[in-house]
Amino acid sequence: MAAKKLRRARLSQELCERLSRHQITTCQDFLCLSLLELMKVTGQSYYDVQKLLRKVSQACAPKMQTAYEMKLRKSVNPSSAFLSTTLHSLDKVLHGGVPCGSLTEITSPPGCGKTQFCIMVSVLATLPVSMGGLGGTVIYIDTESAFSAERLIEIAGNRFPTYFDSDEKLFCMTRSIHLYRELTCGSVLKRIMSLEEEIISKKVKLIVIDSVASVVRKEFDTRLQGNLAERSNFLARGASVLKYLAEEFSIPVILTNQITTSLSNGFPIQADLVSPADDLSLSEAGIFSPEGNSKSCLKPSMNYVVSPERHLEFSLGR
Amino acid sequence: MQRDVGSLPLAPALRARLIAAGFQTAQELLETGPCGLSKEIGISKEEALEALQVVRQECHGGAAGTAGGSGATRKCTALELLEEEQAQGFIITFCSALDNILGGGVQLTKITEICGAPGVGKTQLCMQLAVDVQIPECFGGVAGEAVFIDTEGSFMVERVADIATACVQHCQLIAEAHQEEDHLKALEMFSLESILSHIYYFRCRDYIELLAQVYLLPDFLSEHSKVRLVVVDGIAFPFRHDFEDLSLRTRLLNGLAQQLIIIANDHKSAVVLTNQMTTRIGQSQSTLVPALGESWGHAATVRLIFHWDNSQRLATLYKSPSQKESTIPYHITSHGFRDVQPPAVTQNVEGTEMNPRKRPRREEEM
Repeated sequence: MAAKKLRRARLSQELCERLSRHQITTCQDFLCLSLLELMKVTGQSYYDVQKLLRKVSQACAPKMQTAYEMKLRKSVNPSSAFLSTTLHSLDKVLHGGVPCGSLTEITSPPGCGKTQFCIMVSVLATLPVSMGGLGGTVIYIDTESAFSAERLIEIAGNRFPTYFDSDEKLFCMTRSIHLYRELTCGSVLKRIMSLEEEIISKKVKLIVIDSVASVVRKEFDTRLQGNLAERSNFLARGASVLKYLAEEFSIPVILTNQITTSLSNGFPIQADLVSPADDLSLSEAGIFSPEGNSKSCLKPSMNYVVSPERHLEFSLGR
Repeated sequence: MQRDVGSLPLAPALRARLIAAGFQTAQELLETGPCGLSKEIGISKEEALEALQVVRQECHGGAAGTAGGSGATRKCTALELLEEEQAQGFIITFCSALDNILGGGVQLTKITEICGAPGVGKTQLCMQLAVDVQIPECFGGVAGEAVFIDTEGSFMVERVADIATACVQHCQLIAEAHQEEDHLKALEMFSLESILSHIYYFRCRDYIELLAQVYLLPDFLSEHSKVRLVVVDGIAFPFRHDFEDLSLRTRLLNGLAQQLIIIANDHKSAVVLTNQMTTRIGQSQSTLVPALGESWGHAATVRLIFHWDNSQRLATLYKSPSQKESTIPYHITSHGFRDVQPPAVTQNVEGTEMNPRKRPRREEEM
């Protein structure tokens, strides 16, 4: 929207030519100038310039919708609003499952089951809608090389033995999961930017990024000056593109994060490595934490816009 | 009428020609008339007429001195202001402790800024206010509508529906207790559908869309004159990343702040902004401060900072022209933004069901 050329904003041809002589070609250039500068550049009076501003703003501004219209749109298609995780208590707390159209973050110390959860949700997304899935393909961006195709087939076969009763069905499912191995922040960002066309051409219904924290941790040492700003820059840009994709195509986007200890007043406390909503402005986040040996705890964390904190338990099995 | 020609809001080229021809005051221009002007300057009669109309509008706007256009100044005595402020309503937050430290609730015609770490409840409060602004007058509300400008995408309709349902139930309880005619009539208009239909939602994805939307906001508010609340959820987000030119950022933010103040005053609405926190790295320690820098701190009239203390959420009134600095705890329940239940009063730890019934007593005091 910002890069929209001024002639598409219905300004007259001669005005556009005059503005382009001053290097003002997009709506962004136009709106960033002050009124006096605009008067000088367009050669028009104060009131006329205000009218021009309104015209250009109308070309860029978002459309209005009332909250009621939004609710109606969601209630028309309730099944497409969430991806059920098949963990009943989790689904109940999340009001239906992983929400479509927004970012969800899974965070935990290592070994709790984030990648397993991601693999399972990937299988679920490929299932047909009648079985509670999304009936589409998955884009899986793997930065830790933790994705195992054999484990994928194992989970699918054990979880839905009746559906995946033939090898043919299993291979069909694996063909629907597009795996990208990216090892640097730059390549992750480039991949995210290129997703829009892939989503349309491959009919993608789920994006998983496992994990954001590992690339960020490798490249940005926040103790060094300047790195903090660059890191937030990278995360915010990635997040805004992902949010746009999630909202535009109404698909869920899952990110994983790591938990690190941060020293606060001398006591080590568990804190997210990548501060979820500050850097990413998420609407939901879930925390896996280890309690005991084989059981892990899932605690939808504080940044919950839909429901307050709840404590759940699940275990990693077949 | 003695206004200098150089200060008139005409096109710069025209202005330069008038000054070169020797015109000094606006009065001279008006006396010359369009035909004389066109002959002297060498412009067409239509252009001369247009210029004179601009001059006339400027001079009359200044002389009249009433609050007609956005350029005119207003004069009134402090007594008139006092009467205005006392008659004005507040938008309650359903957390009586927060309403108390704010002096009654979120004030109309002022900008209130809410800063806080992620997850602490800023968007929750914004959604609560978007519902509370619609409470009918007989229940103590301002009976207005709300504009919600979302830059982060954290607005969830399901959550607003929950909050609205709880609010309607609360008002129904009051109506049952009082059994008055106008209460029941107001309740007919105050339903979930009407609440949701009067929240106007704009999703701005970057700072240009936000700027454009704020430029268009005065026209929108003139069309929808019942709007009493403008929420910008996430004023920091679009400005925090990808901005190499910090001076441009400061200028744009100041421009935004000025426009919002004008909107708040002209349309008698409250403007609520949410801001993020950032770490300021000092010599020996780092502290959390509101984002967007020092100069942004002057934009808001009232500043609230939400923060955590172990697992309790606290709200601090950080800046206010009329109330003193204080901190109160608050709670976010499935019904929305609420007080923390003091343990002595209720046996029920859940407490959320008791909340609606505690309100009637406070409403009577108002």
